[in-house]
Amino acid sequence: MITHVLSIVADGVLLGLIYAITGLGLSLVLGVMGIVNVAHSAFVMLGSFLAFELFRRFGVDPVLAFVLALPVFFVLGTVVYRVVITRVQSAAQTQGLVAMFGLMVLIENLGTIVWTTDTRVVTAAYTNTSLEVGGVVLPYVRLIAGGLALLLIGAFWAFLRFTLTGRAIRAMAQNPEAARIVGVDIQRLSAVMFGLGIACAGAAGVALAMVFPFSPNTQVVWLAWAFLVVILGGLGNVANTLFAGVAVGLIQAVCTAVMPFDYVYLVLYVLLAVILTVRREGLSSAVRRTI
Amino acid sequence: MTAPSLAMSGLFAGYVPGHPILRGVDLTAQSGRITVVLGPNGAGKSTLLKTAAGFLVPLRGSVMLGDTDIGHLPAHRHIALGIGLLPQGRSTFPDLSVYENIELGGWSMRSDRKRLAAAVEAVLTRYPHLRELRHRAAGSLSGGQQRAVEIARMLVPDPTVLLVDEPSVGLSPIVARQVYQELRALKAEGRTILLVDQDVRAAIAIADYVYVLGSGRNDVEGDRSAFEGDLGAMVRGWLGV
Amino acid sequence: MFSVFLIPTSTGSRAAAAAVWAAWVAVLIGLAAYGLFGTRLFLLSTLATVFMYAVLTQAWNLLGGYGGYLNFGLVTFFGIGAYTTGILFQYYELSPFLTAPVAGLVAAIAGLLIGFPTLRLRGAYFALVTMIITFAVQILALNLTITQGALGIYLPRLPLSPLAVERLFYFVFLGLLVLVTAVVWAVQHSNIGGALVAIREDEDAAEIVGVRTVEVKWAVNAVSCFIVGVTGGLYAQRIAYIEPTGTFSFDISLNVVLMAVIGGAGTWQGPLIGAPVVLLVADLLRVTVTSEVNRVIFSLIVILIALFVPGGVMGAVSRWRRARAAKPDDVSGSPAP
Repeated sequence: MITHVLSIVADGVLLGLIYAITGLGLSLVLGVMGIVNVAHSAFVMLGSFLAFELFRRFGVDPVLAFVLALPVFFVLGTVVYRVVITRVQSAAQTQGLVAMFGLMVLIENLGTIVWTTDTRVVTAAYTNTSLEVGGVVLPYVRLIAGGLALLLIGAFWAFLRFTLTGRAIRAMAQNPEAARIVGVDIQRLSAVMFGLGIACAGAAGVALAMVFPFSPNTQVVWLAWAFLVVILGGLGNVANTLFAGVAVGLIQAVCTAVMPFDYVYLVLYVLLAVILTVRREGLSSAVRRTI
Repeated sequence: MTAPSLAMSGLFAGYVPGHPILRGVDLTAQSGRITVVLGPNGAGKSTLLKTAAGFLVPLRGSVMLGDTDIGHLPAHRHIALGIGLLPQGRSTFPDLSVYENIELGGWSMRSDRKRLAAAVEAVLTRYPHLRELRHRAAGSLSGGQQRAVEIARMLVPDPTVLLVDEPSVGLSPIVARQVYQELRALKAEGRTILLVDQDVRAAIAIADYVYVLGSGRNDVEGDRSAFEGDLGAMVRGWLGV
Repeated sequence: MFSVFLIPTSTGSRAAAAAVWAAWVAVLIGLAAYGLFGTRLFLLSTLATVFMYAVLTQAWNLLGGYGGYLNFGLVTFFGIGAYTTGILFQYYELSPFLTAPVAGLVAAIAGLLIGFPTLRLRGAYFALVTMIITFAVQILALNLTITQGALGIYLPRLPLSPLAVERLFYFVFLGLLVLVTAVVWAVQHSNIGGALVAIREDEDAAEIVGVRTVEVKWAVNAVSCFIVGVTGGLYAQRIAYIEPTGTFSFDISLNVVLMAVIGGAGTWQGPLIGAPVVLLVADLLRVTVTSEVNRVIFSLIVILIALFVPGGVMGAVSRWRRARAAKPDDVSGSPAP
């Protein structure tokens, strides 16, 4: 019994770490720039397929793909920022939402053209091996994916806290006018921030690909999970996002243990609805404050 | 310190094309002096400072820093050229520490971290009470302390020309007096100061030269002495009574 | 060519306005005449689908176009409507033509339930949650016994020839479209329309000047969901078989957004332009490319419109008209400052 509970907890925590990085990019982009990136999960899906292609073509281990995804998706994110977001930033909010929605549909369908709707998996040498601690079975893939996620969260936390650029990003979130006055180039730093958010999404895609099967047309599911993490953890705060991710992971682990997997999504919506109802004050006022 | 002068001539500027707020302003902030700009609300005082700081591009006319036309340079180039802006109202980063706030004042020097650290250190030496508060979140400080943080942050790159926008708004009289004293001290170091203010009495008290703007144009100007006696009449004139 | 259908707002003469109304009425009479006398099954069927999508897009337009609250999961309410009439037939043998209002009611209640947590927040949250909720409802439809899961529900074929069936739905959806367009027109010219636009432009300011933003959003969303539910209920009878994947297909949500954005959200004419443009182009493309390529093309169009042509066709047309109207007026029209 105890080992059963422990393994549920371990499973939940490891998944939760991955969910945390899935939500982190969305949270930072929303918290710092006020942009709801509806296309977030499309980049997560591209990250999964980056791992898939690197493994299939070159036998690259997903751990390496995780590291490679960061610069690749950073560049992709800055390009998207320059091409799409700079143009809709000054326009009505709905225009930006529509543009990102279009981008999501575009990426999903390009993905379907390239990779079809078949469900894929990434298998590494250690895929079917696991570590046993006191009767609790910990699959290596989950340990590794969770560990990578934790490292990435730590890196983001340290970056925002200890580097001048990170502090400038936080400054920009708190008072963009004052940031301009000290000479921060808001456009450039926003591009960096968006790039980091997308880099995080890509890396999350790699980590998810290590644990779950995936296909281009199921990507929106990850938007739901990422959004849940954001709602739970608040905007732009790395530490809170970590806890929110772990909480979501634990909830999922408990749910899967007691009900059919499909119903987990229903629990997710109910949770979303409840949290949105309870936290609405916190959400709207916290937008520019929490980072 | 030999600070350059800041001169605007025939300046047109505004937010909407075709509707300039400044319509032909001529104004010179002499090197090492305090030049005060007065005027009723809507005369274009803040627009003037925003243009001088590079946040607005002149529609016509020039902004000369010494011999260089800086009117069309982006804002961050202005900082590199030694122009500092103290904006109206609160402009700290509330959730960053005092130290982090001040350090960001040196954003333009970030390629040279040693110089940046030394500059922050110099500012903290100048304002020892801020050194004691350096780990506190700026948002938790009093209004006067936050103003000090803002001044300190502006001084990190050691600017030679200071653009100051209504520095005493929202402060208690005692703190406001300290702010004006600090402006005097900054002038004594040889910096050029362009001060826009609503507090006519306090501004004229520290001014060397005074301009009055009216609806985007020069109205009257002159040395401090010309204004000191005649304040009441001028303010009544703005109010139209 | 679309400028013909714009109602001149302020500067135009009465005659011009009458001409525009006459053009709309002429199109309507033309469509009605084709419905009565047309014999090409394919064309009748395609136009009926165009009308159905135009109804959905008008409903979307109410909250999305005027109010700026984008529903990225409209199909949820469409599917709920379809399943309502489906289930009512399955268990009580009631014709969908009778139970369509019930379908609308159930969808409206679902809209209220989803709106409750999200409509008090800003638009982006509503957009995200509506997109996510589709999956939850689809899972319910797949797993509940009352919906018969993946098996789906069969409805009776109407005892008519295929041509007569298409003719029937041609008029059902055309009639619904006229009705719904009238509702949207009335809303646009009422206080509610003004309140919605105020919410879209600056919700905080709208609240301060006394617009009861939350109530307006709830009410309008409920009306919108009602229309979509009715449409879904009738759709179930038209295709006579519903199952979770097709009935809750994300493509329907997507199409509606495309049509509104391309035609021009926030105008009553936009959906009337967007629906035929998107469906006819999609039909032309379907012959040569796969549906993925089709969606790639349309999503690119949507991105380009959002970036460069705010307001879609209607936005472009009204800008062009303003520009044209401004030129001759320059000499005499504007008073010297």
